[in-house]
Order: sequence, then C-alpha cells, then structure tokens
Amino acid sequence: MTTTPGFLDVAAAAKTFGAATVLDGVDLAVARGEFVSLLGPSGCGKTTLLRIVAGLIAPDGGRVVLDGDDITRRPPHRRDVGVVFQNYALFPHLDVAGNVGFGLKARGRKTAEIGPSVERHLDLVRMGAFADRPVKALSGGQQQRVAVARALAIEPKLMLLDEPFSALDRKLREAMQIDLKRILREVGTTAIFVTHDQDEALTMSDRIAVMHAGRIEQLGTPSEIYHRPATAFALDFVGLSTRLAGRVVSASGGEVVVETALGRIPARANLYPGSAAVVGVRPERIRLDAAGPCTVAATLTDVAFQGARVLLHGAAAEGDRVLVEAPSLPDGAGQGTRLTLSWALEDTLVFPAEGEAS
Amino acid sequence: MTGFRRLDPVSLLVAPAVGYLGLVYGLPLLLLLGHSFVVDGTPSIASFVRFFADPFDWMVIANTLRIALAVTLVSLVIGWPTAIALARAKGAAQAAILVAIILPLSVGVVVKAFAWQIVLRRDGVVSQALVWLHVWDEPQRLLFTETGLVVGAVNVFVPFMILPIYSVLKLVDPRLDEAAATLGAGPFFRFFLVALPLSLPGIVTGVAFVFSMAVSMYVVPSLLIGDRFQTLATLTGRSFLFMRNPQLGSTTAVVLLVLAVAVVVGSAKLSRRFGGAS
Ligand SMILES: Nc1ncnc2c1ncn2[C@@H]1O[C@H](COP(=O)(O)OP(=O)(O)OP(=O)(O)O)[C@@H](O)[C@H]1O
Ligand SMILES: [Mg+2]
Repeated sequence: MTTTPGFLDVAAAAKTFGAATVLDGVDLAVARGEFVSLLGPSGCGKTTLLRIVAGLIAPDGGRVVLDGDDITRRPPHRRDVGVVFQNYALFPHLDVAGNVGFGLKARGRKTAEIGPSVERHLDLVRMGAFADRPVKALSGGQQQRVAVARALAIEPKLMLLDEPFSALDRKLREAMQIDLKRILREVGTTAIFVTHDQDEALTMSDRIAVMHAGRIEQLGTPSEIYHRPATAFALDFVGLSTRLAGRVVSASGGEVVVETALGRIPARANLYPGSAAVVGVRPERIRLDAAGPCTVAATLTDVAFQGARVLLHGAAAEGDRVLVEAPSLPDGAGQGTRLTLSWALEDTLVFPAEGEAS
Repeated sequence: MTGFRRLDPVSLLVAPAVGYLGLVYGLPLLLLLGHSFVVDGTPSIASFVRFFADPFDWMVIANTLRIALAVTLVSLVIGWPTAIALARAKGAAQAAILVAIILPLSVGVVVKAFAWQIVLRRDGVVSQALVWLHVWDEPQRLLFTETGLVVGAVNVFVPFMILPIYSVLKLVDPRLDEAAATLGAGPFFRFFLVALPLSLPGIVTGVAFVFSMAVSMYVVPSLLIGDRFQTLATLTGRSFLFMRNPQLGSTTAVVLLVLAVAVVVGSAKLSRRFGGAS
C-alpha cells in the first residue's frame, strides 16, 4: 500500500465491538480533491471506518490525520468533516433552508451571510425552489440533495457519504451519481464515498478501496481494481470473471501451473508448489479459439443476451464459474456445445486461495 | 353509496366504554354542574359570585395552581433528563430504568403518601440526613409543609412526565444529533437547536398529564399537608364530606374542571403547533 502522505491519512485504524474485530488495522491515504470509494460487502466495516474519520466513534488504535492535523481525538464538531448519512438525517423540525443553514448558524455566522450561502448551495443541488418546504414533504431524491447541500454548506475539508443513493431507484441513482460528481468537482471537495455497488464505485471514483472483513484488500484506480485485482476477493467482488479453484503443480522463474477442474493453466505468479490457488479470467479476455497459450475446453450451459454482446456460461465444478463474453453466439452453438476457450498468459489472474498464506 | 352515510360498525366498539362512562361519570358530572348553577330551585350563578367574592377562595385557587405548577416543574426537571437517559440506554440498563419507573405505579397512592408521611417526619430519614450533612442545625419537620407536599406529589406523578417524553425521544433518530455535531454544533447548541425542539411534543404531553393530575390531587395533600392547607380538590371533598355543602362543593368542582380543561386543551393546541417536530 502506498505510504505517500495524503490530505487525509488514516493509519492502522482498529476497532472491535465486544469480541468482533470490525476494523483490523486500516490504512487509507486520500489526496486533496480526490474521490475515493469504499467498496465492500455488508458488514465489512465501511460505515465504521467512516464514523471514525468523522469522529462519531473513537478508534481503539491508529491515527487520523486531516490536512496536517492529527484529529484522532478531536470531537466531530471541530473536525470540518461533512457527512451525508445513509438515511439523510435531515432535521424534521426545520425547513429545507433551515437544514442547509444549520452548520453556518452553529458556527455563529451572521444571518446576512447564511442566507446567500444557503441559496447558493441549494442552487448547486438544484433545490433552489424548495427552500421553504418542510423536509417531510420531500421525495427521497430531494432529501438526498438537501443532505448534500447541508454538508457542503459548511465548506468542509472532507465530505463523507455513506451509501447516499442506496434508497433510490436505478434511474434516479444514475442521475444523482452524475450530479454529485459535478457538484464535488465544482466545489473541489475531497470525498470518501461508501457503497456496496461495484458499478457505482467504478463509474464515480478516482480510486477505489476494496474492503473485506475489516481490512482494505486493495486500493487503486477503477481500472487497476478491475484488470489487476490484488486478491481473490477483489476479483470476485468487482466485475464478472471465470473463476477456477485449483492447486499449484509446478513453479519456476515466476511462472506457475495450476491444476484445475478444466485442466492445467499457466500463469505468472510466485506461489509454492502444492499450495491452493484461485485462477481468474475476465470474460472479455477469453477468445473462442485454441490460439493459447492458455487453452481449456468447456461445455456451454447457458447464454445470456446482453444487447451488444452475449455472455456464455460454461459447465463448471462446484464453486467454480466459467464466463465468456462474445460479440454473438458462435454459429451452430447451443446448449451442450463443446467450446474451446483460450486467453493470453498475462490475462490469467492467480491468487492464493483465501486462508492460504501467500 | 347513495346520499346517506351508514354507521361504521367499528365505531360500535366504543359503545361499552361510552355507556359506562356516561352512566358513572357523565351523569354525575351533569348533576354536579346542575347543582352549581341552581340556587334554591332556580337557575343562578349566585354560588359563583359568592365563591369569587371570598378572599379565602382566591387563596385556595392560588394554592392549587402554585402546588400544581411546582409539581409540574420539578417533575419536568427530574423527568426530562431521565427520559433522555432512558431513550439512550440499551438492553438491560433500559429495562432496569423502565421497571424502576413503572413498577412503583403498582403501589397505591395512599400507600405512597403514608410512606412519605414517615419519611418527612421530624425524626424521618430526610431530616436526619440533612442534619448529618450539616445542612440543618436541628431536625425539622417537612411533613405538613408545601415542600413536603411537592416532594411527595412529584414522586407519585413523575412517571407521567418521563413516559411521554421517552416515547417521543425513542422515535427521534440518534443520527440527528450526530448530523448536528458533524455540522459544527457543540453540545450546548445541539441541545437547544436539536434535542429541545425534538422532545417538545413529549414535554407538552407530560406537562399536561402531570399538571392536570397535580391540580386535582386529593389523597396526597390530605395526607401530606392536612386540613390547614386547602386546594380546590380538598375543598371540594370537605364541602361534600364534612361541611355537607354540595352547593360549595359543586362550585369548586366546576372551577377546578375549567382550570384542568383549559390546561389540557391549551397543551393540545401547543403540541399540534409543534407536531411537525415529531
Ligand atoms: N455499535 C456497534 N456495536 C456492535 N457491533 C457493531 C456496531 N457497529 C457496527 N457493528 C458491527 O460491525 C460490523 C461492521 O459494521 P459496519 O456498519 O461498519 O458495516 P458496513 O460495511 O457499513 O455494512 P453495510 O454495507 O451493511 O452498511 C458489523 O458486523 C456490525 O454488526
Ligand atoms: Mg454501512
């Protein structure tokens, strides 16, 4: 993991609740103006990490440094960190303008200053016409915008967003994703965005932190995460892939051969012979020919039409998966057809099986 | 359906309650009202004129309101923080607090008042403790004082302050306090701009409960302060039971009723005004 000092530096953040280790020494460096997503399955500790950065819970260990200040022990109201909560947490006793102006009021700003700022931030989220509405009378998407405006109005050093779109339908969600990116770019705010939706993370982020069981398994650009996943978990969680469990049968000079249910597959990796491994290949990297150097045969079981392309499912052993993306169904192919699949050596992704030391 | 509305059968479910209350409460109340507005067989407001002309009766009204206000205020000051603690407590702690609040309700008011008589005596634990702490130089009697009455009454009524506030607070999203904090609001600001307005509907309900009960309490003042101190409720009782003067009794009862109804209606108005907050 990179250790370049960031605008936000979380170092070795740890948290346990009772017997459960929720964060197991998390390091995260975010550059100024960057948009970083925390991507991981439910319960992996995303919200907990966010709450530690916001100061809403104290970590058991580790440090949080923001813009050069160690804020690990600083209470939330003196952190300058804006938070958009998953359920928005708008103040029900205030109208839209009251919500957006709350932060400035809390900072003791004058009314003459609060008014224009509220107006500007409501315009930013296209909610200018709703200033006098009670928040209860807003739709989910509108509440979400108000929550963003409210957090932005304090001009925070850092924005934290906890699955802000998870309650919205797909269409609204996509519109909001674009809007949020635009707004954050206009304001130039650094942001950490929690999601368990990989598409959302891939489209929006400068970098993605893939979290699993209280750790960050990989931190990289969307393309790095997709093309060069660092762990079997990252391979599985982001994007589709062929995935075959196997055992390393030979290793020499940075190349290994993995014995799988579909045969022996060569790959570039440093793994001990005899160790359990997982082989992955992205579906669009697989060709329907025998050009090699990695070649296997599989029986076609299913065809999923996806508009411009088709996704071919091959027969696989329990726990394995065979997925091929092709422009169209090969002539004469159908269920039960024997397919020959091949791909380049560098497209074989290989990982030690989970629980196996690398 | 054409033209006429049929009675919703569900509304028949309230018939037993309405019948019962009408018979044992509504009817006597009407008789009582009738009594106060009838003098020597003819309608008249003479008894009210007489009542409000007597300075003693004004003192009784003042006593009643002063004690009820004090009981309400003390209950609020004690009950509100308790309700906050109750709403924030988790699991066993919350159950323990709830039991501690609700269980005493099963002890009758008379029993409680007698217990307070013992506690508030000159040689009772309160007096002894205050002497031991050097707050007082010598033992004093709290029994038969207004302070003693307020202390005892608060003990009886404070659950009715705590429970409505708690039931509002437990519906308030704890994220709101966190949101306020991340927006830069310190504890003081969060209290006045978030916690207070959000608990207001519960406070209004609790105040209405406790005030209307304190303004009309009879057993507690009878046992804790005695006959020398009269409230509208004890005076009503005395008029019927000792002085055999139903004219005066029904008049004081009507005055008390008007006061209590005014408070309940007023607080209902208030809570509707703040209803948007819950
Ligand atoms: N206050 C708490 N007390 C006990 N356990 C907690 C507490 N907060 C979180 N946890 C546990 O910590 C783990 C991580 O929780 P967290 O909320 O960080 O997950 P998450 O990654 O945000 O999940 P989701 O995507 O479902 O929101 C969960 O197993 C959760 O049950
Ligand atoms: Mg979460």
